[in-house]
Amino acid sequence: MVDYLHLAWKNLWRNRRRTMITLAAIALSIMLVQALHNLSNGVYAGMVDSGVRAGSGHIAIYQTGYLDSREENLDFEDRNLVELITALDGVEQVLPRLYIPALAQSSRESRGVVLIGVDPQRERSINPFLKTLPEDAMVRSVDSRDAVVGARLLEELQIKPGQKFVVTAQNRDGTLHSELLRVRGVVSTGMKDVDGSLIMVGRERAGMLTGSTGSVHEVAIILADSDSAETVLGEITKLLDDHPGTEAVKWERAMPNLANAIKLDYASQKFIFLIILLIVAIGVVNTLLMSVMERMREFGVILALGSQPGTLRGMILLEALVLGLLAAAVGTLLGTLATWYLVTVGIDLASLVPETLEFGGVVFDPIMRASWNPGWMARIAGYVVGLTLLAALYPAIKAGRITPVEGMRHL
Amino acid sequence: MALIELHNVSKIYRLGSQSVSALSELSLTFEAGEFAVLAGPSGSGKTTALNLIGCLDRPTSGQVIVNDMNLGTASSRQLADFRLQHIGFIFQSYNLIPVLTAAENAEFTLMLQKIPKAPRRERVRRLFAELGIDGLEERRPADLSGGQQQRVAIARAMAGNPRVILADEPTANLDSHAAEELLELMRRLNREQGTTFVFSSHDDRVISQARRVIRLEDGCLAGDTGHDR
Repeated sequence: MVDYLHLAWKNLWRNRRRTMITLAAIALSIMLVQALHNLSNGVYAGMVDSGVRAGSGHIAIYQTGYLDSREENLDFEDRNLVELITALDGVEQVLPRLYIPALAQSSRESRGVVLIGVDPQRERSINPFLKTLPEDAMVRSVDSRDAVVGARLLEELQIKPGQKFVVTAQNRDGTLHSELLRVRGVVSTGMKDVDGSLIMVGRERAGMLTGSTGSVHEVAIILADSDSAETVLGEITKLLDDHPGTEAVKWERAMPNLANAIKLDYASQKFIFLIILLIVAIGVVNTLLMSVMERMREFGVILALGSQPGTLRGMILLEALVLGLLAAAVGTLLGTLATWYLVTVGIDLASLVPETLEFGGVVFDPIMRASWNPGWMARIAGYVVGLTLLAALYPAIKAGRITPVEGMRHL
Repeated sequence: MALIELHNVSKIYRLGSQSVSALSELSLTFEAGEFAVLAGPSGSGKTTALNLIGCLDRPTSGQVIVNDMNLGTASSRQLADFRLQHIGFIFQSYNLIPVLTAAENAEFTLMLQKIPKAPRRERVRRLFAELGIDGLEERRPADLSGGQQQRVAIARAMAGNPRVILADEPTANLDSHAAEELLELMRRLNREQGTTFVFSSHDDRVISQARRVIRLEDGCLAGDTGHDR
């Protein structure tokens, strides 16, 4: 085997320039695919992180049917569930929430809103939009009359921080109930719909409005490591035995818009990767075929000396394997350097796209950063080596089919 | 028992819609240790006869038996293996592999025979010394003269200790001095090691050096002299 490897290596450098060009083409394609994939991976991870922190969490608990219908009467009493889940290994934070459709009225305007009842301290430690709010702009307690209002809604209601407004919602008994709230802080998510309809208040205050104090529509669970979702989900499901009619789901089910947007984007990227790799494969076929056609006479001699056609085919495939492995090593080195740059510096889209970047219902950082995915990088390098071998099959079969006499007749 | 037997061998090549008869009803036998030349003008069937004896091609009709093996009934795989074990080839234009050194070229058949590197090197070192090309082991074919390349080709043919060495116009690309030296070398190997040499030539100076001369004309046997020498 060492002898044949030695021969393959020598044959590979027979036409130095051609080999270098092919090698560069394969290596650059590997680098491109690895770096682009890592960039997408980083951006998706960032979006999922923002999404789960502002939205459903990595795992969310709902009354069965709530996710599909969003009917406000599908709430459940959390009792000590929040404390129990907080105590689980791998859980960073647990966020109980009430979602109430309501009407907000100032002295001048009224608007339909979504009132979110939260545990302000827990929520502030996680929600990226609340983290930036100053302490004196945050809801003080679960039963205070403080409200954090979306910037656009504030504008439309023509009120200012510190001013009062009224929210009205339907109580469980069917009657309308109103609560007087005071604007404590203003939040700007960059998403028009959210900024035009969001009011965040203490959970107890929200419960008083609908007569559902102590109940929640959603318990969002933030994990320290998203990879532990499956394990934690199993443990939470066990805890839900005491809360019949509830279900725990992962973020992909709770936020299908984000999950589907990522899936679609990833699918289109895979298609582009496939095209890049196909172009490379065509280049490799061309190079190897040229190399084989030039050496037909030599192959005839090798067969005449007693080589089996299979051995000859193996020699050509070994050349392709050496080429593929060399390209994989160089390409992965370049891919690592490119990923390192994209992880540490990233690509700043702020100057190119001045508006807030929204994707799948989530606002994401205008600086796109990659994340490391060594397993995938190795897989791409492996695919390219496999593809190089596949591309060498036709030239190898062609060379193995000639007879010694036919081969030696070639000039 | 003869080493090589050709019984009523014909070979017809098809060129498009035309058929060209390269050999017609040729019958020949070669004993072990012969030093024979297939002589004749261009197109007389010399190379075709060598290709058939060397298991590189199959006859259209008739039988070719080499070392008791009927080539007509053997599979391509068996023929390749037979060539590897029993036949050495020397070609008119040397046909050395340009990316390999002289020693690596000579070792090539031994590599195909899966012989380990150390005994391979030793065998080639001895052959190079015997053929007067020691010191050229690490040179590439492009850095060797025609005569030196042909000696490397002989070393490659000899390396596997074949029973027969077939040489197609081995001196055609050499000057007269180098051709003379090469023939003398082949004669010595034949004399000292008993290797059977069958080669083709249309050069009378070369033909006169052979102990047996088989003349071919238009694919037919036109004369066979010195068979019993």
